[in-house]
Amino acid sequence: PCRAQPKKKKKVDVRKEQAQKERMKKKLKKLEKAAPELIPIEDFITPLKYSESNRVRSLPPLAPEEAERRVLLLKKWCLFKQKQDEAEKKAIKALVESQQEALKELRLESEELFQAAIRRDEGLFPFEREGPSYTPPLPGYDPPEGKCTDITKVYTQ
Amino acid sequence: DALLGCHRSYRSRPTHGIGKFKYLLSKEVPKKRKEKVQMKEISAGTEYQYGDINIQMTSYDLCLVEHFAQYVHRLCNHLSIQVNESYAMPTKTSEVLFLEERGSKMQLDAVLTTHQRVVQIRGLSSTFAPILLEIIQSNQPEGVHLLMKQHTEADFKSRLKSRPELEELLAEMS
Repeated sequence: PCRAQPKKKKKVDVRKEQAQKERMKKKLKKLEKAAPELIPIEDFITPLKYSESNRVRSLPPLAPEEAERRVLLLKKWCLFKQKQDEAEKKAIKALVESQQEALKELRLESEELFQAAIRRDEGLFPFEREGPSYTPPLPGYDPPEGKCTDITKVYTQ
Repeated sequence: DALLGCHRSYRSRPTHGIGKFKYLLSKEVPKKRKEKVQMKEISAGTEYQYGDINIQMTSYDLCLVEHFAQYVHRLCNHLSIQVNESYAMPTKTSEVLFLEERGSKMQLDAVLTTHQRVVQIRGLSSTFAPILLEIIQSNQPEGVHLLMKQHTEADFKSRLKSRPELEELLAEMS
Protein backbone atom coordinates (compact mmCIF):
# COMPACT_ATOMS: atom_id res chain seq x y z
CA PRO A 1 0.00 0.00 0.00
CA CYS A 2 1.33 3.50 -0.85
CA ARG A 3 1.92 5.08 2.54
CA ALA A 4 5.01 7.12 1.88
CA GLN A 5 3.34 9.62 -0.40
CA PRO A 6 0.39 10.62 1.85
CA LYS A 7 2.82 11.07 4.77
CA LYS A 8 4.91 13.49 2.77
CA LYS A 9 1.81 15.41 1.79
CA LYS A 10 0.82 15.77 5.45
CA LYS A 11 4.19 17.21 6.48
CA VAL A 12 4.33 19.62 3.59
CA ASP A 13 0.72 20.62 4.23
CA VAL A 14 1.31 21.24 7.93
CA ARG A 15 4.34 23.37 7.22
CA LYS A 16 2.51 25.29 4.52
CA GLU A 17 -0.43 25.85 6.83
CA GLN A 18 1.81 27.06 9.61
CA ALA A 19 3.58 29.44 7.26
CA GLN A 20 0.21 30.74 6.04
CA LYS A 21 -1.01 31.27 9.59
CA GLU A 22 2.11 33.17 10.50
CA ARG A 23 1.76 35.36 7.43
CA MET A 24 -1.87 36.09 8.35
CA LYS A 25 -0.90 36.89 11.94
CA LYS A 26 1.78 39.28 10.73
CA LYS A 27 -0.73 40.97 8.42
CA LEU A 28 -3.22 41.27 11.29
CA LYS A 29 -0.58 42.82 13.55
CA LYS A 30 0.31 45.36 10.88
CA LEU A 31 -3.31 46.29 10.28
CA GLU A 32 -4.08 46.49 13.98
CA LYS A 33 -1.09 48.76 14.57
CA ALA A 34 -2.58 51.39 12.30
CA ALA A 35 -4.95 53.48 14.42
CA PRO A 36 -8.56 53.76 13.25
CA GLU A 37 -9.32 57.03 11.47
CA LEU A 38 -12.35 59.24 11.71
CA ILE A 39 -14.46 59.62 8.60
CA PRO A 40 -13.73 63.06 7.04
CA ILE A 41 -16.72 65.35 7.24
CA GLU A 42 -17.71 66.86 3.91
CA ASP A 43 -19.28 69.91 5.58
CA PHE A 44 -15.93 71.27 6.64
CA ILE A 45 -14.20 70.87 3.29
CA THR A 46 -14.93 73.79 0.94
CA PRO A 47 -15.27 72.62 -2.64
CA LEU A 48 -12.50 73.89 -4.90
CA LYS A 49 -14.84 75.76 -7.20
CA TYR A 50 -15.58 78.27 -4.41
CA SER A 51 -11.95 79.10 -3.82
CA GLU A 52 -11.39 80.44 -7.34
CA SER A 53 -10.41 84.08 -7.12
CA ASN A 54 -12.41 85.33 -10.13
CA ARG A 55 -15.62 85.17 -8.09
CA VAL A 56 -15.43 88.48 -6.26
CA ARG A 57 -18.48 90.52 -5.40
CA SER A 58 -18.14 94.30 -5.74
CA LEU A 59 -20.71 96.11 -3.61
CA PRO A 60 -21.72 99.74 -4.22
CA PRO A 61 -20.50 102.22 -1.59
CA LEU A 62 -22.97 103.01 1.22
CA ALA A 63 -24.36 106.46 1.86
CA PRO A 64 -23.52 107.74 5.38
CA GLU A 65 -27.20 107.92 6.37
CA GLU A 66 -27.68 104.33 5.30
CA ALA A 67 -24.59 103.23 7.23
CA GLU A 68 -25.77 105.06 10.35
CA ARG A 69 -29.24 103.56 10.01
CA ARG A 70 -27.72 100.10 9.79
CA VAL A 71 -25.51 100.63 12.83
CA LEU A 72 -28.46 101.85 14.89
CA LEU A 73 -30.53 98.88 13.73
CA LEU A 74 -27.71 96.55 14.78
CA LYS A 75 -27.61 98.15 18.22
CA LYS A 76 -31.37 97.76 18.59
CA TRP A 77 -31.12 94.13 17.56
CA CYS A 78 -28.33 93.52 20.09
CA LEU A 79 -30.45 95.04 22.84
CA PHE A 80 -33.46 92.97 21.84
CA LYS A 81 -31.44 89.78 21.83
CA GLN A 82 -29.92 90.65 25.20
CA LYS A 83 -33.35 91.17 26.73
CA GLN A 84 -34.51 87.88 25.21
CA ASP A 85 -31.51 86.04 26.64
CA GLU A 86 -31.96 87.61 30.07
CA ALA A 87 -35.63 86.65 30.10
CA GLU A 88 -34.69 83.08 29.25
CA LYS A 89 -32.11 82.91 32.03
CA LYS A 90 -34.64 84.37 34.45
CA ALA A 91 -37.16 81.74 33.40
CA ILE A 92 -34.63 78.97 33.98
CA LYS A 93 -33.84 80.32 37.45
CA ALA A 94 -37.52 80.53 38.31
CA LEU A 95 -38.06 76.95 37.14
CA VAL A 96 -35.15 75.65 39.21
CA GLU A 97 -36.26 77.59 42.29
CA SER A 98 -39.84 76.39 42.10
CA GLN A 99 -38.59 72.84 41.60
CA GLN A 100 -36.40 73.08 44.70
CA GLU A 101 -39.28 74.49 46.74
CA ALA A 102 -41.57 71.69 45.61
CA LEU A 103 -38.94 69.12 46.54
CA LYS A 104 -38.53 70.72 49.98
CA GLU A 105 -42.28 70.52 50.62
CA LEU A 106 -42.29 66.92 49.38
CA ARG A 107 -39.50 66.09 51.79
CA LEU A 108 -41.53 67.49 54.66
CA GLU A 109 -44.49 65.42 53.52
CA SER A 110 -42.82 62.04 53.08
CA GLU A 111 -39.18 61.00 52.89
CA GLU A 112 -39.91 57.95 50.71
CA LEU A 113 -41.57 59.93 47.95
CA PHE A 114 -38.75 62.48 48.07
CA GLN A 115 -36.14 59.77 47.58
CA ALA A 116 -38.11 58.27 44.72
CA ALA A 117 -38.47 61.68 43.07
CA ILE A 118 -34.73 62.40 43.26
CA ARG A 119 -33.81 59.19 41.46
CA ARG A 120 -33.04 59.33 37.80
CA ASP A 121 -35.69 58.41 35.28
CA GLU A 122 -34.69 55.45 33.14
CA GLY A 123 -37.55 56.00 30.74
CA LEU A 124 -36.43 59.53 29.87
CA PHE A 125 -33.75 58.45 27.41
CA PRO A 126 -33.82 57.85 24.50
CA PHE A 127 -35.83 60.97 23.82
CA GLU A 128 -36.85 61.90 20.31
CA ARG A 129 -38.71 64.91 18.97
CA GLU A 130 -39.32 66.21 15.49
CA GLY A 131 -38.87 69.91 14.95
CA PRO A 132 -41.95 72.03 14.25
CA SER A 133 -42.73 72.34 10.53
CA TYR A 134 -43.50 75.53 8.63
CA THR A 135 -46.74 74.12 7.26
CA PRO A 136 -48.82 71.19 8.48
CA PRO A 137 -49.21 68.25 6.07
CA LEU A 138 -51.94 68.81 3.48
CA PRO A 139 -54.93 66.52 3.93
CA GLY A 140 -55.71 64.35 0.94
CA TYR A 141 -52.39 64.99 -0.83
CA ASP A 142 -51.40 62.19 -3.20
CA PRO A 143 -47.62 62.17 -3.57
CA PRO A 144 -46.06 60.74 -6.75
CA GLU A 145 -44.42 57.38 -6.41
CA GLY A 146 -40.69 57.40 -6.03
CA LYS A 147 -37.78 56.24 -3.94
CA CYS A 148 -34.85 57.56 -1.95
CA THR A 149 -31.43 56.14 -2.63
CA ASP A 150 -28.52 56.66 -0.26
CA ILE A 151 -25.44 57.77 -2.19
CA THR A 152 -23.12 58.58 0.73
CA LYS A 153 -19.49 57.97 -0.08
CA VAL A 154 -18.14 54.99 1.85
CA TYR A 155 -14.64 55.53 3.22
CA THR A 156 -12.46 52.52 3.88
CA GLN A 157 -9.14 52.47 5.62
CA ASP B 1 24.16 76.06 32.55
CA ALA B 2 27.89 76.08 32.80
CA LEU B 3 27.91 79.88 32.96
CA LEU B 4 25.82 80.10 36.14
CA GLY B 5 26.93 76.83 37.70
CA CYS B 6 30.59 77.62 37.63
CA HIS B 7 32.43 78.76 40.72
CA ARG B 8 33.48 81.98 39.04
CA SER B 9 30.73 84.41 39.96
CA TYR B 10 31.09 87.35 37.65
CA ARG B 11 27.39 88.13 37.53
CA SER B 12 28.04 91.76 38.35
CA ARG B 13 30.45 92.13 35.47
CA PRO B 14 29.19 93.31 32.12
CA THR B 15 30.56 90.18 30.49
CA HIS B 16 28.03 88.02 32.33
CA GLY B 17 26.12 85.78 29.99
CA ILE B 18 28.62 86.17 27.21
CA GLY B 19 28.31 83.31 24.79
CA LYS B 20 24.53 82.81 25.22
CA PHE B 21 22.78 82.55 21.91
CA LYS B 22 19.69 80.34 22.39
CA TYR B 23 17.57 83.36 23.26
CA LEU B 24 18.23 84.80 19.81
CA LEU B 25 16.83 81.80 17.94
CA SER B 26 13.09 81.67 17.17
CA LYS B 27 11.14 79.19 19.24
CA GLU B 28 10.59 75.96 17.39
CA VAL B 29 7.12 74.50 17.86
CA PRO B 30 7.47 70.88 19.01
CA LYS B 31 6.47 68.40 16.30
CA LYS B 32 2.79 67.54 16.43
CA ARG B 33 2.40 63.84 16.90
CA LYS B 34 -0.78 62.48 15.43
CA GLU B 35 -2.96 61.63 18.39
CA LYS B 36 -4.47 58.18 18.13
CA VAL B 37 -8.23 58.26 17.96
CA GLN B 38 -9.10 56.41 21.14
CA MET B 39 -12.45 56.04 22.72
CA LYS B 40 -12.84 57.92 25.97
CA GLU B 41 -14.31 56.01 28.89
CA ILE B 42 -18.06 56.00 28.94
CA SER B 43 -19.36 56.79 32.41
CA ALA B 44 -22.53 55.02 33.52
CA GLY B 45 -23.59 57.67 36.01
CA THR B 46 -24.87 57.23 39.53
CA GLU B 47 -28.45 56.93 40.77
CA TYR B 48 -28.88 60.69 40.91
CA GLN B 49 -26.85 61.57 37.81
CA TYR B 50 -26.99 60.47 34.22
CA GLY B 51 -23.77 59.30 32.57
CA ASP B 52 -22.66 60.31 29.07
CA ILE B 53 -25.59 61.58 27.05
CA ASN B 54 -25.53 62.44 23.35
CA ILE B 55 -27.73 65.25 22.08
CA GLN B 56 -27.96 64.54 18.35
CA MET B 57 -29.44 67.18 16.06
CA THR B 58 -30.25 66.16 12.49
CA SER B 59 -31.51 68.27 9.64
CA TYR B 60 -31.32 68.92 5.92
CA ASP B 61 -30.33 72.54 6.59
CA LEU B 62 -26.66 72.92 7.53
CA CYS B 63 -26.70 76.46 8.95
CA LEU B 64 -29.69 75.81 11.19
CA VAL B 65 -28.25 72.66 12.68
CA GLU B 66 -24.82 74.25 13.14
CA HIS B 67 -26.24 77.30 14.92
CA PHE B 68 -28.53 75.18 17.06
CA ALA B 69 -25.59 73.00 18.11
CA GLN B 70 -23.63 76.12 19.06
CA TYR B 71 -26.62 77.39 21.05
CA VAL B 72 -26.95 74.11 22.95
CA HIS B 73 -23.22 74.09 23.69
CA ARG B 74 -23.30 77.65 25.04
CA LEU B 75 -26.39 76.86 27.09
CA CYS B 76 -24.63 73.90 28.70
CA ASN B 77 -21.58 76.06 29.38
CA HIS B 78 -23.76 78.66 31.07
CA LEU B 79 -25.58 76.05 33.16
CA SER B 80 -22.23 74.53 34.25
CA ILE B 81 -22.95 71.16 32.66
CA GLN B 82 -19.76 69.41 31.65
CA VAL B 83 -19.53 69.04 27.88
CA ASN B 84 -17.24 66.17 26.90
CA GLU B 85 -17.25 66.63 23.16
CA SER B 86 -19.07 68.54 20.47
CA TYR B 87 -18.55 67.00 17.05
CA ALA B 88 -20.18 66.50 13.68
CA MET B 89 -21.23 63.17 12.26
CA PRO B 90 -20.46 62.49 8.59
CA THR B 91 -23.05 63.90 6.17
CA LYS B 92 -25.39 61.56 4.37
CA THR B 93 -26.38 62.32 0.78
CA SER B 94 -29.52 60.83 -0.70
CA GLU B 95 -31.09 61.09 -4.12
CA VAL B 96 -34.85 61.49 -4.34
CA LEU B 97 -36.32 59.97 -7.47
CA PHE B 98 -39.95 60.02 -8.42
CA LEU B 99 -41.90 58.18 -11.06
CA GLU B 100 -43.04 60.31 -13.99
CA GLU B 101 -46.75 60.45 -14.64
CA ARG B 102 -46.40 59.14 -18.19
CA GLY B 103 -43.72 56.56 -18.62
CA SER B 104 -41.82 54.18 -16.42
CA LYS B 105 -38.61 56.19 -16.07
CA MET B 106 -37.55 57.45 -12.67
CA GLN B 107 -36.98 61.18 -12.72
CA LEU B 108 -34.36 62.78 -10.53
CA ASP B 109 -36.07 65.25 -8.23
CA ALA B 110 -33.39 66.43 -5.82
CA VAL B 111 -30.20 65.56 -3.99
CA LEU B 112 -30.59 66.03 -0.25
CA THR B 113 -27.79 66.19 2.31
CA THR B 114 -28.54 65.25 5.91
CA HIS B 115 -26.30 66.87 8.50
CA GLN B 116 -25.93 65.79 12.10
CA ARG B 117 -24.25 67.46 15.05
CA VAL B 118 -23.65 65.83 18.43
CA VAL B 119 -23.07 67.49 21.82
CA GLN B 120 -21.95 65.07 24.52
CA ILE B 121 -22.79 65.88 28.13
CA ARG B 122 -21.73 64.26 31.35
CA GLY B 123 -23.09 64.46 34.86
CA LEU B 124 -26.58 65.78 34.21
CA SER B 125 -28.49 65.70 37.49
CA SER B 126 -31.84 63.93 37.55
CA THR B 127 -33.76 66.97 38.81
CA PHE B 128 -32.35 69.29 36.16
CA ALA B 129 -32.79 66.97 33.19
CA PRO B 130 -36.47 67.74 32.51
CA ILE B 131 -35.77 71.50 32.72
CA LEU B 132 -32.95 71.23 30.18
CA LEU B 133 -35.14 69.16 27.89
CA GLU B 134 -37.90 71.76 28.17
CA ILE B 135 -35.54 74.61 27.22
CA ILE B 136 -34.02 72.77 24.29
CA GLN B 137 -37.43 71.77 22.99
CA SER B 138 -38.82 75.29 23.21
CA ASN B 139 -35.86 76.61 21.20
CA GLN B 140 -35.87 73.84 18.62
CA PRO B 141 -35.88 75.35 15.12
CA GLU B 142 -38.02 74.10 12.24
CA GLY B 143 -36.92 70.99 10.51
CA VAL B 144 -34.32 70.03 13.13
CA HIS B 145 -34.86 66.57 14.56
CA LEU B 146 -33.68 66.20 18.15
CA LEU B 147 -32.56 62.92 19.69
CA MET B 148 -31.13 62.45 23.17
CA LYS B 149 -29.71 59.10 24.08
CA GLN B 150 -26.96 57.54 26.15
CA HIS B 151 -23.56 57.26 24.59
CA THR B 152 -22.48 53.77 23.61
CA GLU B 153 -19.40 52.25 22.00
CA ALA B 154 -21.40 51.59 18.83
CA ASP B 155 -22.01 55.34 18.52
CA PHE B 156 -18.30 55.99 18.67
CA LYS B 157 -17.52 53.22 16.20
CA SER B 158 -19.95 54.65 13.67
CA ARG B 159 -17.66 57.68 13.32
CA LEU B 160 -14.67 55.57 12.29
CA LYS B 161 -13.76 54.35 8.83
CA SER B 162 -14.60 50.76 8.08
CA ARG B 163 -11.68 48.37 7.65
CA PRO B 164 -12.82 45.52 5.42
CA GLU B 165 -9.36 43.91 5.21
CA LEU B 166 -9.06 43.66 8.98
CA GLU B 167 -12.54 42.25 9.28
CA GLU B 168 -11.86 39.70 6.53
CA LEU B 169 -8.68 38.55 8.21
CA LEU B 170 -10.40 38.28 11.58
CA ALA B 171 -13.18 36.23 10.01
CA GLU B 172 -10.63 33.95 8.39
CA MET B 173 -8.69 33.49 11.61
CA SER B 174 -11.69 32.46 13.68
